[in-house]
Amino acid sequence: MFREHPALLLENLSKQYDDGTVALEGFDLEIPAGAFFGLLGPNGAGKTTLISAVCNLLRISDGEISVFGHPHDSMEARRSIGLAEQDINLDRFLTARETLIYHGGYFGMDDLEARADEMIEAFGLQSKRDVRAPKLSGGQRRRLLLARALMHRPRLVILDEPTAGVDFELRTELWRYIRRLHAEGTTILLTTHYLEEAEELCDEIALIRGGRLIARDTADGLRDHFAVDRLQDVYVKAMAS
Amino acid sequence: MSGLVWLCKRETLRVSKLWTQTVLAPVISSILFILVFGLSLGGRIQGVSDVDYEIFIVPGLITMGMVQAAYANNASSIFQARFDRYIHDVLSAPMRPWQITLGYTVGGIFRALAIGVSLLVLSVLLVDVPIERPFALVAAVSLGLVLFSALGVVAGIYAEVWDHTTFIANIVILPLAFVGGVFYSVEVLPSPWEELSHFNPVFYLVNAVRFGFLGESDVSVWLSLGVTAALALPVYAWSQWLFTTGKRLKD
Repeated sequence: MFREHPALLLENLSKQYDDGTVALEGFDLEIPAGAFFGLLGPNGAGKTTLISAVCNLLRISDGEISVFGHPHDSMEARRSIGLAEQDINLDRFLTARETLIYHGGYFGMDDLEARADEMIEAFGLQSKRDVRAPKLSGGQRRRLLLARALMHRPRLVILDEPTAGVDFELRTELWRYIRRLHAEGTTILLTTHYLEEAEELCDEIALIRGGRLIARDTADGLRDHFAVDRLQDVYVKAMAS
Repeated sequence: MSGLVWLCKRETLRVSKLWTQTVLAPVISSILFILVFGLSLGGRIQGVSDVDYEIFIVPGLITMGMVQAAYANNASSIFQARFDRYIHDVLSAPMRPWQITLGYTVGGIFRALAIGVSLLVLSVLLVDVPIERPFALVAAVSLGLVLFSALGVVAGIYAEVWDHTTFIANIVILPLAFVGGVFYSVEVLPSPWEELSHFNPVFYLVNAVRFGFLGESDVSVWLSLGVTAALALPVYAWSQWLFTTGKRLKD
């Protein structure tokens, strides 16, 4: 019987940096297509390393990564992934609209202008469409970053702490948009420090520490497993274990 | 191929948006050399091989302006993209390493050609510089721009701070250009300086371009083109290797 490939499959993934730091060690993870998956862990746990490895921004030391059944460095896999990084990394020479159009161009899109205008409108950037990225406010840059990640209609969207440092209103707005995206069938991989965010949004949560997977389950499952009432307590217990 | 086209567009757009810095400033700087050393002082300087001095210096000045721009453009573009991490948008895109290498190289070539063509037009108007061997000129410029654009890509990838890119421009390329026969024929140099000049790669490029303009040069044009090609190919391969392996980009 036909079985859909997982959105993301990591097998025995390891990354050791040149200075000897082991960021990931024998990491296995499978995220089903259509899932809203949360990745939780303290700073230095390996979350961003994992994401960078999936998105071909990092050379892995060992292991395999596949995206919807394709090797992660294949053109098919690259086209399937949309990434919004933790730090704002917008091209300083491009306007908001150009940022989206050029990104779409890099990803081989045809309907660039119409899609860029659609994203500009969806993220409320109409009045800033011809403004260069450095002149946007922090919230506008964050919105543009997310719009860029979604521009080429990826099947797997990776959001690395998308709401870090943003105000309540923007966070709520981003949540609303991400939820709608998920409801339309997009697989979401979210890393966050906000436990309530993970609980609010994610179907399943993985806890990682020191480059290793500690636990993985639904929020309820994790609470049961660690015999506590709150996700915060799960986190504290998991990180202390 | 779409990704390559858009990366080329992005790199040329950057040059266009900053045209006063990327094109106008180097053109003014080179034209000042022609005005000061050529037209003002040229009358007091004996011509070289029956060529008026103000005409003799034009090929070297155009070469110097172009190679500096090709290098500086790509070194700064890649360094900024790495520093601000927006290079991730390119590295994660469905583009092959050869497309990324070529896309970034094109930016430097575009800027250098904008400067070169501007200087050529002004030089024709000011001193009526001839183009005796156009095919040799095209070959020399093409090889020279591939060499210095690729060198800019490599420097932009290896640089850890901004000073590293300017160090190569100011301490390596500029002095080599100055002693590479831009302002004089190396035949007038006493030994061992004449012989030492033959170890300067920019000397061969300047001579190949001068041959294209004036139909004569200090050394055989084939030797000049051969040396420039022998440098351009491995440096371009080096930049390609960096994008293929991810060395320095994905560490």
